[in-house]
Amino acid sequence: MSARRERPSRAGWQLLARAVKDQRNWVVLGVTAGLFWTGAKVAVPTLAQLAIDRGIISRDHGALLEWSLAILGVGIVSAVCTGLRRFYAFGISYRAETDLRDRLFAHLQRLHFAFHDHAQTGQLMARAATDLLQVQSFLTLIPITIGNALTVSAVVVILFVTNPGLAALALAALPLINVVAKRFASNIHPVSLELQQQLAEVAGTVEETVVGVRVVKGFGAEAIQGGKLRTRVDRVFERAVLLGRMRASFMPLLDFLPALGLVAVLWYGGHQVLSGHLSVGELVAFMTYILMLIAPLRMLGTIIAMAQRAVASATRIDEVLATHPAIVDRADGQTLPPGHGELRFEEVSFAYLPPEGGQLSDAGMPVLDRLDLHVRPGEAVALVGATGSGKSTVARLVPRFYEVLGGRITIDGADVQDLRLRELRRAVGIVFEDTFLFSDTIRNNISFADPDAPQETVEWAARRAGLHDFVADLPDGYETVVGEQGFALSGGQRQRVALARAILADPRILILDDATSSVDPTKEHEIRAALAAVMKGRTTIVIAHRPATVALADRVVLLDRGRIVAEGTHTELLATSERYRRLLAQSAREEAGSTTPQQDSEALVR
Amino acid sequence: MMGWGSGAVRDEEKLSSSQARQVVRRSLRMLRPYRRQVTVALVVLVVYTLAMLAGPLMVRLGIDRGLQAHDALVLNLAVVGYLVAAAVAVVLGRTQITLITRVGESFLRDLRVRVFDHLQAMGMTFFDSQPAGRLVSRMTSDVDALQTLVQQGLVMFIQNALLFVATIVVLVVLSPVLAAVCLAAMPVVVVASIRFRRDSNVAYLTVRDRVGQTLSTLQESLSGIRVVQAFAREESQNEVFVSHNRAQLDANLRAVRISARYFPVIELAGIGTMAIIVGVGGVLVHDSFITVGTVAAFALYLTNLFEPIQQLSQLFNTVQQAGAALKKLFDLLDVPSDLTERPGAVDLPETGELLVEDVGFAYDGRAQVLADVNLAVRPGERLALVGPTGAGKSTLAKLMARMYDPGEGRIGYGGVDLRDATFSSLRHRIVVVPQEGFLFDGTIFENVAIGRRGADEEAVRRALRLIGVEERFQALPQGLATAVRERGSRLSAGERQLVSLARAALADPAVLVLDEATSSLDPGTEADVERAMAGLMQGRTVVVIAHRLSTAERADRVAVVDHGELVEEGTHDQLLADRGRYAALFASWAGEQQRRHPSDLAEDAVVSS
Repeated sequence: MSARRERPSRAGWQLLARAVKDQRNWVVLGVTAGLFWTGAKVAVPTLAQLAIDRGIISRDHGALLEWSLAILGVGIVSAVCTGLRRFYAFGISYRAETDLRDRLFAHLQRLHFAFHDHAQTGQLMARAATDLLQVQSFLTLIPITIGNALTVSAVVVILFVTNPGLAALALAALPLINVVAKRFASNIHPVSLELQQQLAEVAGTVEETVVGVRVVKGFGAEAIQGGKLRTRVDRVFERAVLLGRMRASFMPLLDFLPALGLVAVLWYGGHQVLSGHLSVGELVAFMTYILMLIAPLRMLGTIIAMAQRAVASATRIDEVLATHPAIVDRADGQTLPPGHGELRFEEVSFAYLPPEGGQLSDAGMPVLDRLDLHVRPGEAVALVGATGSGKSTVARLVPRFYEVLGGRITIDGADVQDLRLRELRRAVGIVFEDTFLFSDTIRNNISFADPDAPQETVEWAARRAGLHDFVADLPDGYETVVGEQGFALSGGQRQRVALARAILADPRILILDDATSSVDPTKEHEIRAALAAVMKGRTTIVIAHRPATVALADRVVLLDRGRIVAEGTHTELLATSERYRRLLAQSAREEAGSTTPQQDSEALVR
Repeated sequence: MMGWGSGAVRDEEKLSSSQARQVVRRSLRMLRPYRRQVTVALVVLVVYTLAMLAGPLMVRLGIDRGLQAHDALVLNLAVVGYLVAAAVAVVLGRTQITLITRVGESFLRDLRVRVFDHLQAMGMTFFDSQPAGRLVSRMTSDVDALQTLVQQGLVMFIQNALLFVATIVVLVVLSPVLAAVCLAAMPVVVVASIRFRRDSNVAYLTVRDRVGQTLSTLQESLSGIRVVQAFAREESQNEVFVSHNRAQLDANLRAVRISARYFPVIELAGIGTMAIIVGVGGVLVHDSFITVGTVAAFALYLTNLFEPIQQLSQLFNTVQQAGAALKKLFDLLDVPSDLTERPGAVDLPETGELLVEDVGFAYDGRAQVLADVNLAVRPGERLALVGPTGAGKSTLAKLMARMYDPGEGRIGYGGVDLRDATFSSLRHRIVVVPQEGFLFDGTIFENVAIGRRGADEEAVRRALRLIGVEERFQALPQGLATAVRERGSRLSAGERQLVSLARAALADPAVLVLDEATSSLDPGTEADVERAMAGLMQGRTVVVIAHRLSTAERADRVAVVDHGELVEEGTHDQLLADRGRYAALFASWAGEQQRRHPSDLAEDAVVSS
C-alpha cells in the first residue's frame, strides 16, 4: 500500500474510467453545455469585428446596434452555459467521489482482521481523504478540459481561415504557454511537497517542545530546542523562497507569451491593414482571440500533471478495493445448530501470515501447534500463559477472525468455517483487551449488537455488568455521550460498558480477552463480581493473568508455545505445576510496580 | 479549484476594523528590518503596473496614428513600444514576485522564531492552563494560513488591486463618457461578488463540517473495526457512513450551485460590457468624441476589470484567515511570562542545603495545594516524599526545582533564594527526572545530549557509563546514532526511562528530584532501571517521590505529606515506631502487597526466582 506502486497504472485509469462511465448522463450534459459555451464565446470577437468594420468604420448606426445586440445575446447564452457546465462538471466529480467513498468504506468494513492488523489507519484515511480529493479535482476538469480544447481548436481554425499568415505568426508563441505551464506544474510539485515535509518537521519540534515542556525546562534545554527550531525554520524559508523564485520565473512568462502574439499581430497585421489586406475590425478580433486562448492553454498545461497525480491516487484506492476479503461466507453457509455452546478445538494449527509483499519478522512462526481443547456447555475455562503462548489467538479463532491453517474448530458440532459469518459472530461474544467505545451514547454503545433493544434490556445488561448504578447517577443517564470527544470514563467503567455490550448480545459463547488488564488493580475486584455473574451458566473463555480473575474459572488451561502444558483447577495447578506458580508470581511481581493504591495525578510529565 | 472549504472563515474569527488596523500596524513594525526591500518592491510594483497598462495604449496609438493616419512609422513605433512594455513587465514581474515572497517568508521566519522563543520563556502555569494542542496549532495551522497567503495570494492580491484601480483611472482619462458606461455593470458585479463570497463562505463552512463528520466516522469505524466485525454490525455501520457521505455531497452541491449562479453574472457582465464598448463606443466614434483606437484599447482593458474582481473576491477569504491568524499570534506574544530571571540574578553555589521555608502554593485560581511547609535537605542526603494522591508531594518537588514560584514563603539553595538565581545555574544544580522517559525526535545521542548544552560524544558516553547502560545502547544497529522515532516508539518503556536517566547523569546536578514511575516495566528492564537509578543517585542530594514504600525504606529520611501539609518527618524506623500516618500507610501498603500475591507458594516462587 505504501510507496510500492507510486507510478500510475492501468488499474488507476480503469478506476477513473469507470467512475466517469457511472456518471455518463451528467457527462453528456456537461459536455453539451461546454459546446454551446464554446460556440458563444468564440462568436464574440467575430461579432465585435463585424460591429467595428460594418458599424463603426462604415459609420452605420443601424448595423452597429444590430451587431452590439448580437454580442449581448451571445453573452447571455455564454453566461448560462458557463454556469451549467460548471454545475455539471462539479456534479460529476462530487457524485463520483461520493460513490467511491461509499465503496471504499463498505469494502474496508468487509476486510479481514489480518488486513487491518497491517494497515495503518492514517494510510487508509489518506485514501478516503486526499486521494479521493485528487480524483475529484481531476474529474471536475474533464468536461471543462473538453470545452477548453474545443475553444482552442475553434479559435485556431477561425484565425487560419481569416488570415493564415497572420494566424501562423500570432500563434507561433502560444504553444509555449502550454509547455511552460506544464513544466511549471511538474517542477513546482516536488518542491511544494518538500515544503510540506519541512513544515511538518517544524510542527514536530513545536509539538514535542510543548508536550515535553517539563523536560525542556527541567534541563534548561530551551536553547537546544530553539536551535533545532531555527534550523528547521531556515529550511522552510529556503524551500519557500525557492518556490517563490520558481513562480517568479514562470508566472510573468505566462503573461509575456500572449503579449508577444499581440505584438506580432499589431506589427504584421497593422502593415496588412495599411496595405488594405486586413480590416481594423479583424485586427482587433485577432487580438481578442489571442487573449481568449490564454486561460485554456494554461489549464491544458496543468491538467497533465493533475492527471498523473489523480491516476496515482486512483491506483492507491484501487489497491485497497482490489484486496479480497479473506474471510467470507461459504456458498453453502449453514445455520448454527441448536445447542448450549459446546466448543471444540481439534488439532488446530495456526500462524500469522505476513501481509502480501510485506515482511514481518515474527510472521510465519507457528502460534498454535495441533491444539486440542474441549469446553463443555456452560463451562468457564481460563487460558493462562506467557506472552506469545497463543492464548489470545485461541480467542480470535473462535469467531473466525482468522482462518485456521490446520485442524478445525466446532461449536455445538458445526465447523465454524461452514457457518454463516453473521450467525457465528452473533453466537460468540467477545470483550477485547482494549475496550473500544463509539462516540455515541452509553445506551447506543451497550445496544450495539441490537440497536432496537428496549431500554429495559439495556438496563438489564448494564446491571449484570455492574454499570447501572453509575450510569443512573450521570446527569444524562444512558444518553451520556462517551468516546473520544465525550464523557471520560475510567478504564473500569469502559470495561463494564464493553461487558454490557457483550451481555446484551446474549452470546452462546463468551470470550473475555484479557478484559481486566487495563483496569486499575485496586478496582479489579469490583468488576470481578460482574464477571462472575456473567459467566454463570454460559460457556466462557477467560484470558487473564491476574490470579483472582483466573480463579473465577471452573478449569484452568496453561498454554506454552501453542500447546497445552497443564490443565486443572486453579488450586490443583498451584499445587502441581511449578510453571503455573512461576507464571502467576511473575505477573504479581509486575503488578507490584504499581502497588500504592493510587496513581499520582500530578505526575511530572503529563 | 474548490478544495474542501479550506478557505472558509468563521464569523467569530473575523476581525473588527480596529483589530485589523492594529494587526496591520504590528505587522508593519515587524517588517521594519525589511523596509528597503519593501520600498523596492513597491516601486517595482508601480512600474510593473504601468508596463502592464502600456500595451493597450500602444494598440490605440498604432490604430489611430498609424493605421487610420496611414503612417507606418508610428505603427512600428507602437509595436516596439508594446514589445518594450511587455519585456519590462516580464523582468519586473519576476523581481516583484521574488521580492515579495522573500520579504513575506522572512516575516514568517521571524514570526515563527519569536513565537517559539516566547512559548519557551513561559512558565509552567501557562502550560497548565493551555491545552497543548491549541499552542501547537498557533505554530502550525495559524502560521501555515499566513504561509499560504504569502505563497499563493499576496502577490496576486496586491497586483490585482493596483491593476484594477489603475485601469479605471486610465479608462476615465481616455474617455470619461465611455468609462462611465463601461463601469455601469460594475455595481452588479461588485454586489454579486460580495454575495457570492458571503454565501460561499457559509456553504464552505458546512462542507468543512460535513467532511469532518465523514472522516471521523471513517476513522472511528477503522479504530473499532474489530468490534464491528465481532458483533457483525457491518451493514448498520455502512448505513451511518452512507448518510454522512450523502450529507457531504449535498453540502458540496450546494456550494457548486452558489458558484454556478455567480460565474454567469461575471461572464455576462464581461461580454455585455464588450457589447456596450462596441455599441456606445461606436456611436461616440461616429460623433468624433473618441477614436477607433480608444474603442480597441477599451476592449483590451476589459480583462483587467473583471478578472481582478473575481480573484479578489476569492482571495478575500484567504486574507481574512491570515488576519485572524496574525491576531491570535500577536495575542500569544502579548501574554507575559510568569517565570523570569530577575535582573542581577546570581549563580547558585556549587553545594548547599535545600531549604523550604513556610511555603504555600495554589495552582492558578484553584484551592491551596501546599501550606506552611518547612523542610531542609542536607547535601548528600536522600529524602523520600510519601503521601496519598493529591497530597501535594509532586507539587513540592516541582517547587524545589523552580518549575513554579511558591505563593508564600521561600525556597533557597545554599542560602540563595531560587527566585534570585540565574536559570542556567539553577537548571544545572537542580534537575527533575520525570516519571516517564519523555523522548524527543532524534537519535539516542541527541536525546541524552539535551541534558547539557554542547555536550560531545565522550560526555554522553560517560553519562551512559555512569548509569551502566552504554553497552546496551551501543549494541543497537546504529549504536547511539539510532533514531528513536516518534516519541521513542522504537524503544521500550524501560529503555526510554534509561535514556531519561542518562540525560540527568549528563546534566550532573548536585540535587536530583526523582518522580518514581508508577507503571510497571518488564522484570528484566526493571532491574536495569533500578541499577541506573542507584548509579545516578551516587554522591548527590536526592529528593524522591516514592510510590513504593520499599523506596522510602531505603531513604535516609522520610517526609510524609498529607493535604498539603508536612505531617511527619524522620527515618523509616523512627516513623514506624511512632505509629503515626506513615506507619498506617506502610501497613496498608504491606497488606496490599500481601493480598496481591496469589498465595504463599507464589510468594516463595518470587523469592526463589
